[in-house]
Amino acid sequence: MQFAVPPRRSPLPITRSSRMPIYRKKQLKPIALLTVAIFSLLYIIHHTYTLIPTSVVVIPSGVVIVTLLDRQRLSESYISKIVANREDYARRHGYRNFFASVSDYDDAIGDAPKTWAIAPAVRHAMAKYPRSTYFFHLSPHSLIMNPTKSLKSHVLEKSKLEELMMKNAPIVPPDSIIKTFSHRDEKDIDLIITQDTEDLNPGSFILKSGDFARFFLDLWFDPLYRNYDFAKAETHGLDHILQWHPTVLARTALVPQRSISSYSKDSLRASPEGTYKDGDLVIQFRGCEMEGRDCEKELEPYYNRWLGIIQTD
Amino acid sequence: MSLSRSPSPRPGGGWSTPGLILATNAVSPGTFSPNGTSWASAKATPDGVRGYPSFSTRNAGFFSRHRDRLLARCTALWRRSSHEYIDKDDDGPKFRRADSPRGSRWFSGLFMRRGRLRLLLLLLIVWITYLFCWSSIVQLYRRSPIGGARKFVIILGSNVEGGVMELKGAREWAIERNSIWNKKKYAARWGYDLELANLLAKKRYSHEWRESWEKGDIIREAMLKYPHAEWFWWLDLNTWIMEYDTSLQSHIFNHLESIVYRDITTYNPINITHPLPQFWLDELGRSVDGDGNPDSLQMLLSQDCAGFNLGSFFIRRSLWADRLLDAWWDPVMYEQKHMEWEHKEQDALEYIYQSQPWVRSGIGFLPQRSINAFPPGACGDLDNPVSHYQQEARDFVVNMAGCMYGRDCWSEIYYYRELSKWLSRPLWTRFKDSVLDTYDGLRGKAKDD
Repeated sequence: MQFAVPPRRSPLPITRSSRMPIYRKKQLKPIALLTVAIFSLLYIIHHTYTLIPTSVVVIPSGVVIVTLLDRQRLSESYISKIVANREDYARRHGYRNFFASVSDYDDAIGDAPKTWAIAPAVRHAMAKYPRSTYFFHLSPHSLIMNPTKSLKSHVLEKSKLEELMMKNAPIVPPDSIIKTFSHRDEKDIDLIITQDTEDLNPGSFILKSGDFARFFLDLWFDPLYRNYDFAKAETHGLDHILQWHPTVLARTALVPQRSISSYSKDSLRASPEGTYKDGDLVIQFRGCEMEGRDCEKELEPYYNRWLGIIQTD
Repeated sequence: MSLSRSPSPRPGGGWSTPGLILATNAVSPGTFSPNGTSWASAKATPDGVRGYPSFSTRNAGFFSRHRDRLLARCTALWRRSSHEYIDKDDDGPKFRRADSPRGSRWFSGLFMRRGRLRLLLLLLIVWITYLFCWSSIVQLYRRSPIGGARKFVIILGSNVEGGVMELKGAREWAIERNSIWNKKKYAARWGYDLELANLLAKKRYSHEWRESWEKGDIIREAMLKYPHAEWFWWLDLNTWIMEYDTSLQSHIFNHLESIVYRDITTYNPINITHPLPQFWLDELGRSVDGDGNPDSLQMLLSQDCAGFNLGSFFIRRSLWADRLLDAWWDPVMYEQKHMEWEHKEQDALEYIYQSQPWVRSGIGFLPQRSINAFPPGACGDLDNPVSHYQQEARDFVVNMAGCMYGRDCWSEIYYYRELSKWLSRPLWTRFKDSVLDTYDGLRGKAKDD
């Protein structure tokens, strides 16, 4: 091929030539090498990242309030009050309600105390609402007293939860040697729970759905725990799991009692710092079903106060 | 003027940057400045002139840049062969390395002048290099991050009952030595890591505590020690890897979806209810085969005729595995069941599999003979082909399960060691054997007649 002008002699910085300028040709090799290097790097990165098992699913949202009702022992009027209380709260914040019947789980529980039904009931709610993230179990002997507070802003939000989390606190008060981790973030947490003066309180906890929830609920509901005759049945089962199984403890946040389960004055093991004060989210009548107490009577004044609160809104 | 092969552009030759030449020069074709190169000469030696030759030829190419490292691996060999060459060709051009321009001329001369001898020598060198270095190159590749072997760690439980509890006899030592040698050989062959777990009887695992649950602790320690590994293969001491040529990848992990079954009803010697009937469980909990995705398998094990067998199993580094290792031993469960759980951690796993639905979807089963074949008599009296080693099928691993109860562990290990050696004998021995066999056969026949 002949050229009128050797292109490389051109003084003009931009010369249109049908041939590739020599300096560019020179650059071809490094460019090619670089491309190959980049592609192989991408391949390796892709390769190594696909090896890591990813459990990323479409993140669902929403809260389901799980309430376990013992329709054989609770009166219709009591149940309707509880249901009204939960439904009002759910409506305000776009949550859902799941009311489970204890009798549904009779076969599975067998001879063990009926209070063990919490675990299968929460699991049941998760199966029914697979797209919801948070499952808020609330005992039937409790009322939501501050309906305007949403769970998100009150507990679940990252900054809020990290502020509430009790770090390095004994799991079973006052002085169990197993303590909560001191370096957990919001993203490490799947279970949010409180304790009273003696035990953890399964009457009110928030559980995030997913593999951990399945593992935790199945472990808690294991027949060997149910048949062990723990003095306080599922409560002691929970104490036991958190103290013996670090994989559960690592994903648990202990929050101050009054954030999600303030006790009424008459409750068992009510302590000054855990007793209900106006403005708290929840009041729990812990142990009201026991001999000599009357849940309906204890509920009545707070229910009326709650009616007053929702009417002024 | 023509441009010589100078290492760098000189003031008198080579190309200047375009901007340094006066504008007028560029417009008229014929008027080249003397310090430039004429077009004719540029055309005449296109290879030399285009570009800066010395820049691109030196240190170009993979071989010349990595020569030293490559050669260091085969130093002795290289030195010997190059000496040989120089001795023979005193009058010829001295040996030059291939990266110099003379090297290529020498190379082309190879075929024309005294080509044949040199070609032969070269081939010989290549052949010897191949013989001596190939396996180490292959192993180096397998160990590298892209080779895939670092994903696997073999954990061998050794020193069983050693230490304070019992004195080991000569046979126990022989078993241990041989079994370790066997796993070492296999692991080195494929580049896997081998972790020898010392199962020394320790007080914290002794009776009423958690005897034989130390597997869990050992696996956890191995997970810490080998942070790049994904799958951990537990092997009891009384096992023998029969097929060194079979890699874990080709045997199992490249086709998990076809070899592994999660539906335990496929082979269910202890009649576990499956799938779970509880109505409150989600789809995954009640599913027959988990989520059907081989990537979510976290543990691979096999069942013998009496249920789960943990003489040989795989567990994958994952949250699931952490949880399983955590839930596997629990004081409340142990207190109630330790008299019943004759096979300790094995029975405990069987129990958890049945009582806790979350476990099911992570566990996959392999056909027993693929990782855990039994010697005859280890599983019932029948030599049924589900459990027992089949020589024609070239089963991968033999587990002398239960050999300490009334059988002879050492003689079984010895038998399978020799069998494995014989099965994988080289081609030539094979040929010799077959000739001898035919000869013997003929003689035997003749004798009979």
